[in-house]
Amino acid sequence: MIELITQPAQLTPVLRPPALVMDLERLGSLNASRLSFARSLIRQMGRQRWHISCDRFELDALGHGQAIYRIQTPYGRYHAVIFSQRLDDSQRSDRVIANAWDVTFGLVEGDVEDALMTSLAENIPLQEAGRQHPRLLVISRANKSVRNFDVFVDALSKGSQPPVSLLKEAGYLYRTTAVYGNGKFGIADFGRLKENADFRRPFSAQMTAVYVLRQFSIAQVEHIARHRHAHSAVGLHIDLQRYLGIGNSTGLGMAPFLINHPQLINQWIHAREQALALAKMQIPSEEDRSQLLLLCRRAYHYFVETVVTDTHQTSRNAAVIEELSGVIAWLEQIAIEPDLWQQLTDWGEAALSLESQELLNALLIELYPAQVDVLEDAMGVDEKLDLTPDMPLVQLKQVIETHLDWALSEDFDDPVSCHWFWYRSVEKEEPRLGVRGAEDGVEKELSLAIAPRAQRTYRAISDYLEEHPRALTIEFLMAQPKFMDIIRRIQTMAATPYGEIRANLWHRDMKPIHLLRTKLSFLGANRFDPRSDRWVRVTFFQGAPLIDELNEEPADLSAFDDWSFPLMPSDSSGESAAQLATK
Amino acid sequence: MMNVSFNELQGLSRKAFIGIGFSDGHADDAADMVAWMESFDLHGLEALNAGLQHLMEEDPDTLPQILYQDGDLAVIDGQDLSVLRSSNLALELAFAKARARGLSVIKIRRCRQRQLIMGYLARLAGRGMNITAFWRNAQIPLTEQVVGFRANSSAPSIRVYSVEEVPEENEPNSGITIVMANHVDLLPTMRSDFRYDLLAKHEESDLMAVRDRAMVNGIEVEVSLWERLKVLAHMTLVASSAVSSRGAGEED
Repeated sequence: MIELITQPAQLTPVLRPPALVMDLERLGSLNASRLSFARSLIRQMGRQRWHISCDRFELDALGHGQAIYRIQTPYGRYHAVIFSQRLDDSQRSDRVIANAWDVTFGLVEGDVEDALMTSLAENIPLQEAGRQHPRLLVISRANKSVRNFDVFVDALSKGSQPPVSLLKEAGYLYRTTAVYGNGKFGIADFGRLKENADFRRPFSAQMTAVYVLRQFSIAQVEHIARHRHAHSAVGLHIDLQRYLGIGNSTGLGMAPFLINHPQLINQWIHAREQALALAKMQIPSEEDRSQLLLLCRRAYHYFVETVVTDTHQTSRNAAVIEELSGVIAWLEQIAIEPDLWQQLTDWGEAALSLESQELLNALLIELYPAQVDVLEDAMGVDEKLDLTPDMPLVQLKQVIETHLDWALSEDFDDPVSCHWFWYRSVEKEEPRLGVRGAEDGVEKELSLAIAPRAQRTYRAISDYLEEHPRALTIEFLMAQPKFMDIIRRIQTMAATPYGEIRANLWHRDMKPIHLLRTKLSFLGANRFDPRSDRWVRVTFFQGAPLIDELNEEPADLSAFDDWSFPLMPSDSSGESAAQLATK
Repeated sequence: MMNVSFNELQGLSRKAFIGIGFSDGHADDAADMVAWMESFDLHGLEALNAGLQHLMEEDPDTLPQILYQDGDLAVIDGQDLSVLRSSNLALELAFAKARARGLSVIKIRRCRQRQLIMGYLARLAGRGMNITAFWRNAQIPLTEQVVGFRANSSAPSIRVYSVEEVPEENEPNSGITIVMANHVDLLPTMRSDFRYDLLAKHEESDLMAVRDRAMVNGIEVEVSLWERLKVLAHMTLVASSAVSSRGAGEED
């Protein structure tokens, strides 16, 4: 008798469908995950033993002046150059239209010679109005959180620690308002970094600059405190240092990026979905369950401690707190079975809010670094939307029906569906939204809304096919060339699952803030604090290891990497850092 | 002169073309063509500058016309438009024919700023097509230019030479002939029984080195042209008002 040898089935991760994943409200519910660029960067720094040191710290008693931090990697040397100046309160604005900031900074490739420093000092503080040097990889600016900054300086100068509760609302001393890369205002093109082992991942150079600014903010408050009262001043407690992040204020300026880089967005979402699918495939152990419980409890307390001003976000966070309790109870009681994670996410999809579902997914991904972390190298892509000119037009029509059904179903005869138009203002080219028919500028509308364009294209193709049923795409385009770019996009993106965000960006009820949160979550932002449906404040690197910890070359890289959803360095009774310091 | 990045040049050019009246897709391609040329130091901005006024006066609704086509050949009337406006789809047509038939020939008659077509040829070469383009400049002496791309190469080989022993002819020299082949290398190699003087010779490797330098050091641009492009780009922007300022969200 022949014995049949059965091979174990090769399981392939099952990705969630684009119709589910690319829903704008779901994307606007994402949290940072271990694949976010801030997390990847810190892991890379720890693994590769980066060293960051302060080469120059020339500030006056008020903290104004220059500082330079050296960043040494195994492959190269870089310098973060920071300029701090006095800023009148009336000039302090988070809007892109601002012209001056408390701090401006840049990340330079290589050394900073005197001549280069002179050029940087003349131009970086001007930001968009300057002509920036091609060895700059990043330029950025930041404004103080004035209340936090003053309280911190005051407390430290008097020998005490600032109240940690202050950081509940804004967990930072500085808030960046734009972080520019990729050739902006004369700095280096991202294309130049493609072969750079340190910064070839998207936004890693930007994240590095922001990370160094965090260190500067700590050093600066300590410096000012010492100058104010040399005898009594103390340094900031290390737990508070770690709990300090860098804020960021983001407006509509970020929105076009999400639409104009569909291939890149596809890479990001695809990597995250792969990570989730891989995690769900794993057969959980008791240890895995304990780990997930630990992460859920930490996230629970993180949301309990989070204070935001926006009432809608406050109620979303409250729902997360309540639902996380249910998740914790579920995890504590359900027997471990091989498909436990699938059961958990199925239940979550049926019973939890979008915010809780995606939080749970981010936590699940945390359990499997060996499977997930390799995906961080898949976050970049050479972007090129190419035409397939010989595609039969009838096939193109079918592609639209298959991949853009969500766009075809929109009723653009309904004024509600055409409410907004997007444009750029003469004020620093700031993207804005106008009401169609009520505001000026519609003739200069940006073509960001894909849904109406896809629908118009579909109609034009259908009409053309009636006369030319065997036409090729190029024949249609020779007759109607204005459809070239949208057809190029449709044909290219048909090969990808996740590039197109499924929303009508003209619709009256569309929330631009969901677009902003999508990108910010991949950058690694936390504590989403919307100021309107077009502005959001977030925090980066809160809880991240400090530069001193990095320079000590951590032996336990897992612990070094474990800084998501950081908790206040005190118990919930409001114990201050000063009390902590006495322990 | 001022120093700009590739991305900056591409971005400003794109906005300037939209300001002139190009559709988004044509503006994308035209900006890519100019920036590509300039990154290889092939004087893309000089060509743009020389033809900018004419470009602004062109009727944006005028389309290139197909005068003749069959399976592997097409003749296009470029309508005296710049190749920035008229060549991309004509070249896509040639690409489709070459994909179907192995080799295609396309002649674009009556077109301007022909140098700039190299930027779009580079794009098609990147999609796996071997390409040669040929055109004559009506100068004294008569000069000819041949540009060849190997499939999947991002830099061309270029030859520019003057010829004297040519039969008299009355055809205007404002056309360009392009040959595309799926599988056959079409790089230019000089070989002739007739006298010619080689005026310029650019090899792929030389051009790649130029490109690498541009990525490190940036690209030199004449300030006056940069300002001119900014004026055109400005036409895409909407005047600000208290109402429009609220369109970005209320001040925090």
